[in-house]
Amino acid sequence: MPEMARVLENRRESPWTHTLFFDREVKCAPGQFMMVWLPRLGEKPFTLSYPNAITVKRAGPFTEQLAALEPGDPIGLRGPLGRGYPLMRRPALIGGGVGIAELRLLALASEKPIFVLGGRTAEEILFHEEFRKLGPVHVATEDGSLGAQGLVTSLLPVQAPAYAVCGPERMMAACLDLLPPERTYLAIERYMKCAVGLCGQCTCSGWRVCVDGPVFPGTWVREMEDFGRRRRAKSGRWEPV
Amino acid sequence: MRPLPRIDPPLVNASGILSYPEVFAAFEKAGACLGGYVTKSVGPVEKAGNDNPVVVYSAEGGAPVLNSLALPTQSPEDWEKDLASLRLQRSRLIVSIYGGTPGEFARVAERMAPYADAIEVNLGCPNKVPGEQTIMESIGQSPAVSGEVMRLVRGACEKPLIAKLSPNSDYLAVAEACLAAGADALGCGNTLGPGLAIDLTSRKPILAGTTGGISGPALKPINLRMTYEAYARFQCPIVAYGGIATWRDAAEYTMAGACVLGIGTAFLGKGTRESAGLTRAIWEGVVAYLDGRPFPDLVGEAHRLPAPDLTHA
Repeated sequence: MPEMARVLENRRESPWTHTLFFDREVKCAPGQFMMVWLPRLGEKPFTLSYPNAITVKRAGPFTEQLAALEPGDPIGLRGPLGRGYPLMRRPALIGGGVGIAELRLLALASEKPIFVLGGRTAEEILFHEEFRKLGPVHVATEDGSLGAQGLVTSLLPVQAPAYAVCGPERMMAACLDLLPPERTYLAIERYMKCAVGLCGQCTCSGWRVCVDGPVFPGTWVREMEDFGRRRRAKSGRWEPV
Repeated sequence: MRPLPRIDPPLVNASGILSYPEVFAAFEKAGACLGGYVTKSVGPVEKAGNDNPVVVYSAEGGAPVLNSLALPTQSPEDWEKDLASLRLQRSRLIVSIYGGTPGEFARVAERMAPYADAIEVNLGCPNKVPGEQTIMESIGQSPAVSGEVMRLVRGACEKPLIAKLSPNSDYLAVAEACLAAGADALGCGNTLGPGLAIDLTSRKPILAGTTGGISGPALKPINLRMTYEAYARFQCPIVAYGGIATWRDAAEYTMAGACVLGIGTAFLGKGTRESAGLTRAIWEGVVAYLDGRPFPDLVGEAHRLPAPDLTHA
């Protein structure tokens, strides 16, 4: 059953990205997700960026509506759901685009993290100033407006005892090729319906991302033939990632 | 009548749960104690189904679970590709099918039969995309139309056929028509209702499809009754579904008359390894209860034992 919360603040992080704070704190492991419901508009999965906020990139009708919410508006929350990241010491947190937001709670829970962040432009490097207070931050942008010019993979490998990767799936697949899978965790995204393991919609090579993930060990992801390649659309039809 | 394929252990997933071949393979690899897997219902044309939310359940558990997927399906061609690539090591595959007309059921059955050890004919899904008619309304309520579906499906494929009934229908009449038209077993049964849940803040129904079929613990006594009545009348093979979450539920359904037991809502919130553990716990509990007797001995036992003699109580 979704629980209704109220929006406290809609904070614009970049021209495309908003952090929505609500009046309910969720006790969760970093990497767990919420099903966020707007009555009559839909319900989609989002990972928490604060105990009481999600960070949303405007990418379609539903996220446009989320980005347009104002203080006092109702927002339905179901969760926390799924499995998050394990606790890690000195992890390298590797984020791409809005996936960087998912690393925020993990960064706060980790001992001495280092950051490896990528985006198209400087504006996509979310929480950059905040992260700099927590540890070293390495940045690559495609247009060179912040840090090195290029993709996040150009910053790899970095030495760390553990790695967490969150971003576009092809970026994560490219990172996994450069990292030790037994010390790497990745957050997989799929179209979700029930989000509690019943319907099978969010399968990635047979693992149901909603209950077996969304965070998976790199050793498992290495074995997933669908990762980086295909996912099921709303009807169940395969489509390329 | 054709016998059902040997499903050993006699546990399956319910259609619409787990749904896809690669999930079945992952369950089998994780050691799930399921002798068969049932696909999501395959329909005649690609359909996206309802928007989210598609489920309602209480965080505390125990309350009714509602779902309103409304039969999303990829095209039969895409299902053929998926099923052709499936390699189950030990378990049987049951393909669930539906259509909008009896002829559509038959066409889907014909295409899916080469991949299936049995075909389950979905006559009872209570869900719909707002505005459309449900299978249950158009077909599953009517013994005559359900019988026509089964007659055409029977003519279109040689595989054992399971007629999956709705608890919301005159199910014994529907079952009789289906068995007369060539069904080999009954599925008892689909979800109940549909039911409704309303959000108090927006003052609107929660499900995007407005209503949803009721499953889980709330459904168990109803489909248990259906199983009991169907066995008493027909003594045919019965695949039972509805709130089976423990070995006790499984044993009750078996004594009511089921020879195969389907698990669905009990997987809610459970990852693959935990789900596999649940199936093992259910089957180990049934085996312990059997105490050395073979499982078929227990099927329908509630109908055979003499009534207790209360005269000396």
